[in-house]
Amino acid sequence: MQLTYLEAIRQGIWEEMENDPTVFCLGEDIGIYGGAFKVTDGFIDRFGAERVIDTPIAESAIVGAAFGASLTGMRPVAEFQFMDFIGCAFNQISNMVAKTHYLWGAPAPLVLRGPSGGYVHGGPFHSQNPEMWFVHNPGLKVICPATPYDAKGLIKAAIRDSNPCVFFEHKYLYRRIKEEVPSDDYIVPIGKARIAREGRDLSVITYAAMVHTALEAADLLAKEGIDLEILDLRTVSPLDREAIAQTVKKTNKVIILHEHSRTGGLAGEIAAIINEEAFDDLDGPIVRIAGLDSAIPFSPPQELHYLPKLEDVIREARKLKAY
Amino acid sequence: MGNKKIKHTSNGNRSRNGNSRPKAPILAKAARNGAPKAGAIGSAQGKNGAPKAESANGSGLRTYSIPDYRLEHPDYSVRQLVEKDKDGTQHVRYEVSGDLDAPVPPIRESKYLDKRQAIEIYRYMLLNRKMEIALENLYKQGKVVGGVYFGLGQEACSCASAYALDKDDWFAPMIRNQGSLLVRGFGASDTMMQYMAKADSPTKGRDGTSHFGDIEKRNMVSPISMLGDLIPVMAGVALGARLQGRNLAVMTYIGDGGQSTGVTYEGINFAAVQNLGLVLVVESNLWAYSTPSEMQYRCKDLAERAIGYGIPSVIVDGTDACQVYDASHEAVERAHRGEGPTMIEAKMMRMKGHAIHDAAAYVPKPMFEFWKRRDPIARLENYLVRDKKWLSAKENEKLIAEVDRIIEQEREIAVNSPMPTPESAEGGVFCEDGCHEIKPKYAMPKVKKGSAAYKETEAAAHFK
Repeated sequence: MQLTYLEAIRQGIWEEMENDPTVFCLGEDIGIYGGAFKVTDGFIDRFGAERVIDTPIAESAIVGAAFGASLTGMRPVAEFQFMDFIGCAFNQISNMVAKTHYLWGAPAPLVLRGPSGGYVHGGPFHSQNPEMWFVHNPGLKVICPATPYDAKGLIKAAIRDSNPCVFFEHKYLYRRIKEEVPSDDYIVPIGKARIAREGRDLSVITYAAMVHTALEAADLLAKEGIDLEILDLRTVSPLDREAIAQTVKKTNKVIILHEHSRTGGLAGEIAAIINEEAFDDLDGPIVRIAGLDSAIPFSPPQELHYLPKLEDVIREARKLKAY
Repeated sequence: MGNKKIKHTSNGNRSRNGNSRPKAPILAKAARNGAPKAGAIGSAQGKNGAPKAESANGSGLRTYSIPDYRLEHPDYSVRQLVEKDKDGTQHVRYEVSGDLDAPVPPIRESKYLDKRQAIEIYRYMLLNRKMEIALENLYKQGKVVGGVYFGLGQEACSCASAYALDKDDWFAPMIRNQGSLLVRGFGASDTMMQYMAKADSPTKGRDGTSHFGDIEKRNMVSPISMLGDLIPVMAGVALGARLQGRNLAVMTYIGDGGQSTGVTYEGINFAAVQNLGLVLVVESNLWAYSTPSEMQYRCKDLAERAIGYGIPSVIVDGTDACQVYDASHEAVERAHRGEGPTMIEAKMMRMKGHAIHDAAAYVPKPMFEFWKRRDPIARLENYLVRDKKWLSAKENEKLIAEVDRIIEQEREIAVNSPMPTPESAEGGVFCEDGCHEIKPKYAMPKVKKGSAAYKETEAAAHFK
């Protein structure tokens, strides 16, 4: 079946709720309204208000309640209306949820999910990519799918996982991409990257919406004889170190591409992994393409200036090829 | 779809002015606001606890009141005083004024406790205090890593509240509730080993103090150092259990300092709208580290906060074990009946500094003297031995000697536990395959599915 990215996530959660009575959803406006982006549209009619809970506007309470319920063996799926608002629950996630298994051995099988990302002119509080806040929190799995197939397989894997998973859905992709998604039950393993495009000349390591920017660049660059390999990380914590090392060993040149701000961003961490795992295989500098070190601005020309663009990838790829 | 059945659901279907009568138990307004049931909190008179915002015609006449079980109402206040010394240098200190010579009231007769239970609570309170004395000594011997936190003066609040819980109920302590852990079946050595960062401590050295939990047997959620975060977590425990068909009481604590946090509001409000069996014991112990409650909140009693949440509350003397037990018992019963959260404000004083390093020099001396006369253990001892004659002097001596012996044994266990190996810092960040089986603790939730089938969202159908 051809599914959009949004529909794939919605179907994944729906199927898990059909199959496992311990799965339930909570969040703001997810019931009768079906969620700000309609990810839980129709859920309340099927699964009832007991399992599709409209909460007060209280992110710390949403995370806290999800965590508490998970301690009784439930599998809560908590929605953030926008992932920007996850900051309101930061203490609860970082100090309560992430540390629980390490400190006192209690598993917390919960999913915190919601839309993130730019290119939709949402402004500084509706366009952020706050995944790095959680990558630096041992105990959390951080997932950022790029395709409908992966989005469905990963949300199902996250719901079935015994650990807290933070699931970033890219809102630019929600209804812009569509692909064939099998109707049989499948999961995509957490922590495994995939090669989105095979190539010889240089590797672009990226994830989420940037995978599509990289793919577009690859098509254009192919005409110039530059053959890009694209590694879609799918999970940003834990990172697939092996896949990162492998693609560098193959192409010997690497660009790391992400939307969030450059300083302290994921590219720095990946560069360090390459340094540890494949330093001798490098034939050029590790290139970072990332958001500016500022808040993400509102006005479309400014937002586009902040965010990585197709031209950035093409320019940097040409330079690196020639190095 | 012609045959539409109207069902009341857990969300959204609630009257604001008391006119409609929702049927679902988790919504029933009458129950939420104190149905005519046994017990005093939220009881028949309808004037206790929860807001009564409705009248017969729904005109919105508000008649709030909060039951107060105390037999005395301490009358003093603390303020900042600016003084100049001989050299003219300015100093700011706290000063107390009011009636600090009031006689100690009697223990209030419990409506529920029998002789055996009252003595058992007394015994836990003794264990609590003597464990902390042992910890203080271990600290002085250099055996404790970091500081020691005390519940001195708050033993009745910790022990009598936790004593009201059933085995299946859940609780989460805060830093001064080391007595609650003993009531719930943990050994004194568990807490001692935590303080000494030992390999056999419940967290195997990874955290200290009362920061440990057990979701298997004792149903305890580990606290974190940040205040208030446990409140929504405990509400979530009750939510999880309710989805599995059980109305459980979930008890946790917050101080007059901790209640200032935003997550406290979020958690109580969540429990209130979802009508979950939260029993929140507000430990009004007058000092949040060095800050007096006068600088923490403006209302007269923290129990008044409950009115804003739409839940019942009650005020008790936190140094009177019988009052603490009775209020806790009633709140736990309400939770078991599915009638929702209760707030209990226990008034007392923290009788040491914030932790062992803090001499609490900022506390005006007359306040220590006032509350020292209200020592919860001395008061309960007096009640059991002299007033009720449930314990003879000899039996009391025997009981104290037994507690001393237990604490000494537990101290030995704790001291003899090895320190963890450095490498044991590694591992356990994630729950790996086979380390825990995730399954509902009480029962597989009974699922009722609507007839609505899966269909693509409208937006998706419009995709081009």
